[in-house]
Amino acid sequence: MIEKLLERGGDRVESADVCVIGSGGGGAVVAAEIASAGRSVVVLEQGHHWTRADFVQREDQMLPRLFEEAGMRQTVDGGVTVLQGRCVGGSTVHNLCYAFRAPEPIVDMWREEHGLDQLTPRSLEPSYRRVEANLRVKPIREDEVNSLNRLIRAGTEKLGYSGFVTHHNREGCVRAGYCILGCSYDAKQSMLVTYVPRADRAGARIYANARAERIEVEGQRVRRVLGSIVDHSGRSRGSIEVSAPVVVLAAGAVNSPDLLLRSGIANRSGQVGNNLHLHPSVMVVGIWDEPIHAYRGIPQSYYIDQFIDLARDPHSGTVLMPIAGFPVLTAVNLPGFGRRHFEHMRDFAKMGGLIVLLHDRSSGSVRNGSLGRPEIRYALEAGDRRQLAEGLVHGAEILFAAGARRVVVPTQPEPLVLERGDGLSAIPSEIGEGDAPITSTHPQSTCRMGGDPNTSVVNAFGESHEVAGLFITDMSVFPTSLAAPPQITTAALADRTAHHILARWLEFAV
Amino acid sequence: MSPRRASPLSPARATGSRFAATRRSFLALAGSTAAFTALAQIRSPFVLAAPTGDRLRFFDEREAEILTQIMERMVDTGCADAPQVRDIGAVASVDALCASLDPELAGPLPLLIRAFDLGPFLFDFRFSRFTGLSDAEKDESIAGWMTSRIHLRRVAFLALRNLCFFGYYSQDEIWPLIGYAGPLL
Repeated sequence: MIEKLLERGGDRVESADVCVIGSGGGGAVVAAEIASAGRSVVVLEQGHHWTRADFVQREDQMLPRLFEEAGMRQTVDGGVTVLQGRCVGGSTVHNLCYAFRAPEPIVDMWREEHGLDQLTPRSLEPSYRRVEANLRVKPIREDEVNSLNRLIRAGTEKLGYSGFVTHHNREGCVRAGYCILGCSYDAKQSMLVTYVPRADRAGARIYANARAERIEVEGQRVRRVLGSIVDHSGRSRGSIEVSAPVVVLAAGAVNSPDLLLRSGIANRSGQVGNNLHLHPSVMVVGIWDEPIHAYRGIPQSYYIDQFIDLARDPHSGTVLMPIAGFPVLTAVNLPGFGRRHFEHMRDFAKMGGLIVLLHDRSSGSVRNGSLGRPEIRYALEAGDRRQLAEGLVHGAEILFAAGARRVVVPTQPEPLVLERGDGLSAIPSEIGEGDAPITSTHPQSTCRMGGDPNTSVVNAFGESHEVAGLFITDMSVFPTSLAAPPQITTAALADRTAHHILARWLEFAV
Repeated sequence: MSPRRASPLSPARATGSRFAATRRSFLALAGSTAAFTALAQIRSPFVLAAPTGDRLRFFDEREAEILTQIMERMVDTGCADAPQVRDIGAVASVDALCASLDPELAGPLPLLIRAFDLGPFLFDFRFSRFTGLSDAEKDESIAGWMTSRIHLRRVAFLALRNLCFFGYYSQDEIWPLIGYAGPLL
């Protein structure tokens, strides 16, 4: 049963074996696995339940429907825009379907540096296999690579750099290109069309418009979740209470620590909300001589890993990924205004970009904010600023090699415009907050897992070190930046947590 | 009473004393940086339902006129045949967007728009409002916000700029101008 509580109104009191907070890449998996084993499950999702009929391929309609704080969540200084999903299915509804496992050097580093002895590639294998099967992960076929990705691939190979066509989780894709606005064809194998329906079929009660606001604990054991029924702008329209001996928190790396801090629980280590990593990203834009209509087809199918060597250094590096936007998204990502801005917008159909994504050493924090929202702080270290700038140089180099006649580096307040044949030395040597639009779609590590209760929030199975029955299964448990798109790893860790709960059920069922 | 009018940042209160309002507004903006700066780099503007006709749901008539004139310069194409801001639903879309937001998030916007109108007086020592300037002077005034050494002014510029881009580039009439073929549905 997937119920839009906003449409019914009133107050709700429920009980279940397990209450799951969040229905995205972590929560939906836990809900489906545990409900399928016969346990009663309630899922609380503060966003709305949108379906393919609602995904109308328009920015003005879809972006506010799908994103947390209507897409405006930012760090307190405005330096980084943090994009997260806010709907049934979470960020998997708007993501671009890169399907990667965690890089082995990262898992090795987590195990060795964070005391996660039980976290081995072998122990993760069953969970990865289940998740990849359920999400129908497969290689992207050559004929599915769109115009921009083909051009970027050619430029990368021309320069002798390393890159590859990736795996994805789509089935029957019609290559419309509107993945970021929700799939109108249910081809994207997001949680919305995979694990959520599976949880539903297994009897889980999935409540949309239900915002968890407090987790109550008695005697160091989790007891209930209190929350509100909320409308689209977050206004309270009623209350909801769910009693459960097990609570699984999967609200994302911003909302999860915010909720724990508001509840005043599970933070003896003082690490809840700390260690925030963002995978900060900056886009560099290429403009070709002829229209390439980069917004059509699978948006991201190629991946450039030339500038990251995790076996040598598991703590830093950049990856580059093709990207195309729609008119509003493109306009706001190009600095300036008026005629000079329109000179670039006029070439919209000839435009394609590369995202420089940083595997960040820098870290920030999430705290309870004064407006009832989480307060996100983040500052790039000097080394990371240099890496982002170097990434822009490589991006510009690849775009020119791919045939772009002009490259726009989105420095603020005015963009840096390079013509073919120009050198790249004009690109700044450091890029920090305010120097260019920086975006994060992968906040992580704010409730990190680890072997030591004094320095981590949960153990290798996502279980709180101090509150019995409390688990966390979202990107907040990553001990460090993942250095790769996180969708599959988030789901695999959630699967692992679900099976851990089921295997030890009698310990919790009191 | 609309949610916006319930805000302590309501222009109805702000216009009671220009200096006090300005000071209050900027203190308020500074105090609510998360909400205000959030609007600075809008990637995902958010209209759930466009208003019908010319009925305003969030801004008043004066604010809508200021916003219209700001938008006309922000999206100046230089093309004689480009759709004009006043001829399409660009400002109405922004109005609907703001009406759909959490009041705490959108509350400072009317004040920002009025402050922008007073920008030439407040920052350039000219006895004129933005809406009384020529096009070239308006562009200069906007550039002053964009390049200001005051962080908050730059943030305000980005907020308004991105709202204007949202309003203009989400209109179907604009898409042929930039070669966007539009949705497939």
